Amino acid sequence: MPAAPVVEALDLVKTYPGGRGRPDVRALDGLTLSIPGGTVHGLLGPNGAGKSTTTKVLTTLARATSGVARVGGRDVVREADAVRRSIGYVSQGTGADPLLSPRENLVMAARLRGLSRAASSDRAAALVDRFGLAEAADRGAGKLSGGTRRKLDVALGLVGTPQVLFLDEPTTGLDPEARAAMWAEIRRLAGEDSLTVVLTTHYLEEADRLADGLTIVDRGRVVASGSPDALKATLEGDTLTVDLVEPTPDLVRSAVASIAALREVVVHVEGPTGRLVARTTDGPAVVGTVIAALQAAGVRHGAVAVSRPTLDDVYLRHAGRSWTSADVASKEVAR
Amino acid sequence: MSTLTVTRPVTTPTRASWVTQTVEITRRWTVDAIRQPWGLGVAIIQPVIWLVLFGNVFSSVGTVPGFGTDDYLTFLVPGILMMTVLYSGAWAGTGFIDDIRSGVMDRMLTSPVSRSSLVAGQLVQQLLVCVVQGICVIGIGALAGARYAGGVGGMALAIGASLLLAAAFCSLSAAVALLARDQTALIGISTIIVLPATFVSTALMPAALLPDWVQSAARYNPLTWATEIARTAMSPSVDWSLVATRGALLLALATLVAWWSVAAMRTYQRSL
Repeated sequence: MPAAPVVEALDLVKTYPGGRGRPDVRALDGLTLSIPGGTVHGLLGPNGAGKSTTTKVLTTLARATSGVARVGGRDVVREADAVRRSIGYVSQGTGADPLLSPRENLVMAARLRGLSRAASSDRAAALVDRFGLAEAADRGAGKLSGGTRRKLDVALGLVGTPQVLFLDEPTTGLDPEARAAMWAEIRRLAGEDSLTVVLTTHYLEEADRLADGLTIVDRGRVVASGSPDALKATLEGDTLTVDLVEPTPDLVRSAVASIAALREVVVHVEGPTGRLVARTTDGPAVVGTVIAALQAAGVRHGAVAVSRPTLDDVYLRHAGRSWTSADVASKEVAR
Repeated sequence: MSTLTVTRPVTTPTRASWVTQTVEITRRWTVDAIRQPWGLGVAIIQPVIWLVLFGNVFSSVGTVPGFGTDDYLTFLVPGILMMTVLYSGAWAGTGFIDDIRSGVMDRMLTSPVSRSSLVAGQLVQQLLVCVVQGICVIGIGALAGARYAGGVGGMALAIGASLLLAAAFCSLSAAVALLARDQTALIGISTIIVLPATFVSTALMPAALLPDWVQSAARYNPLTWATEIARTAMSPSVDWSLVATRGALLLALATLVAWWSVAAMRTYQRSL
C-alpha cells in the first residue's frame, strides 16, 4: 500500500497582474500533485515553469487564486499557522541574517519557534555539529562560502524539526563539490531523518539522482509525474540525436520522413545550429540509414549520438519542446 | 487525483509568545546595528553637526525682534532632537528591503512568527537608537551652552515626544518599504517627505518668523507638534494643555501608521 500523501494540491491556479494593460500572468494553471511521506520529491521544470510559485503556495508564503492545498493534512490557507509549524523552507536566496553568526541565526530561529534559551542553544549546537559548521559557527554568516552558507540555510530549515522540508533550487550557484555534498545531505534527510523533502530544481541530473518521485511542471501545469525510472521507462528504445550545422527544420524532416524506424522526430533550432532528436527501437541499427538520408538531402550534420532515454526526453515528449529550448525561452521572457 | 485525501494532522510544536518573538526580533536588529558601527556613528555625529551648523548659521536669529529669547541654542536643541529622530525613522524601512532581497523575509513569513512582531521588533530597536540619539543631542547641547529649565523630567518628556514622532516615521518608512520593495523608491519618498517637513515646521524657527502659509502648514506638521512639546517641557513653566493635545495627536498618528505598517506586511505577502 503506498504511503499516505503528506503534501497534496488540487487544481491550483495562481495569477499575477500583468500591469500596464498587459494580460494577467498565469503562473499556475490547474496544478495538481500528491507527495507521499518520507520521500524526496522533485518539482522539475525550466525557469518560469511554476515550481517556485507552487512551493510558495505550499509553504503559505503566497496564496493561490483558486484551488486547494494541504501539508500534513492541514489546509495551507485556513490552517496556515499550523502548516508553518510543521514545515521548513529554504528559499532560493539565503534565509540567514548576514550580520549574525550561523550559531546566532540558529538560536534566533529556535527562539522564534518557542524553544527556551537553553533548548535553543542545544538545538543550534546539534545543527552546527550535524552540518559540519563548527569552524564557521561564530563568524558572520555573510562571510561564509556559498556551500557553507547553503548548509546553514538547510540547517535553518530544520530548526523546528519539520515534517516537510521545502528546498527551492538548493544547489543553484554551487560548485560541483558543494553540490555533491548538498545532494548527500538531502538523501540523508529523507533516509535517516525520514523527512519528506520537496525539492524544486531545473537541473535534470539533480532530479534524476535525488528524487524518489518527480512532478514535471511546464507553464504552470503538471505534464508528467512518477519516479525518474518509471518516467524514462515509458520511453521505449533509444534516443537518436544528430547535431545540425545549419538550422533547416523542413529539409531535415522531409529527409528522414520515410524512415519508418524513427518516431517522435523533433528538430530544434538553437541559434545558428540545430539538433535532430528522434525515438527509435534500436538506435545503432538505424544510425547509418539516418546519416545517409541526411547526406542525400544535402543536410550538413555534426556529431551523432544514440542514448538511453533521459528526463530531457521525458520532458520533450510531454511538453513538446526540449529542456534547453524551454529554459532559454523562459530566460528570454524574463529579460 | 480528483479529490484531496485527508491525512491525519501531525503534532505541531509550540510557538513563542508574541512578546518573546518581538524581543528576539529586537535583539536581532540591535546586534545588526552594533555590528555596523559606522551606521550608529553617523546617527550620533549627524545631530552634533546640525547643532554646530544651525547653531552658528542662525545664531543671529535670536536678536530678531519677535523671536522671544536671545538664546538660540536652547531654542534649537528640541528642534534638532526631533529632526534627528525624524531622519533616523525615515530610513528604518531599508532593513526590510534588505530582508526581502536576501530571502530572510521569506523564511520569517513561512515560520510561525507573528507579522506584527516582525514590525514591532524592528520598531522597538529603532526607538532604542532614538533614545541614545536623544540623550546625545541633549547632552551635547548642554555642553555647548543650552539650558534646560525643565530639569530631568522635562528632558524625559522631550525624549518621550521624540519617540512618538520616531514611531510614526519608522512605521511609515517600514510601510513604504514593504509596499515599494525598492531602496531607490524608499529614499526618494523619504526625501520628499522629510526635507519639507523640516522646513515647514518650528524646528529651526519660531512660528512668528515664518511666512504666513508656512505658519499655517506647520500647525499640521507632526515635527512641529513634537518640537512644541519638547520646548515647553524643557522650559521653566510647562504648558500641560499643549503637551496633552500635541501628545494625543502624536500618539494617534503613531498608532495609525503602526497599524498601516502591519497591514503593509500582509499586503506584501499577498503580492507574492
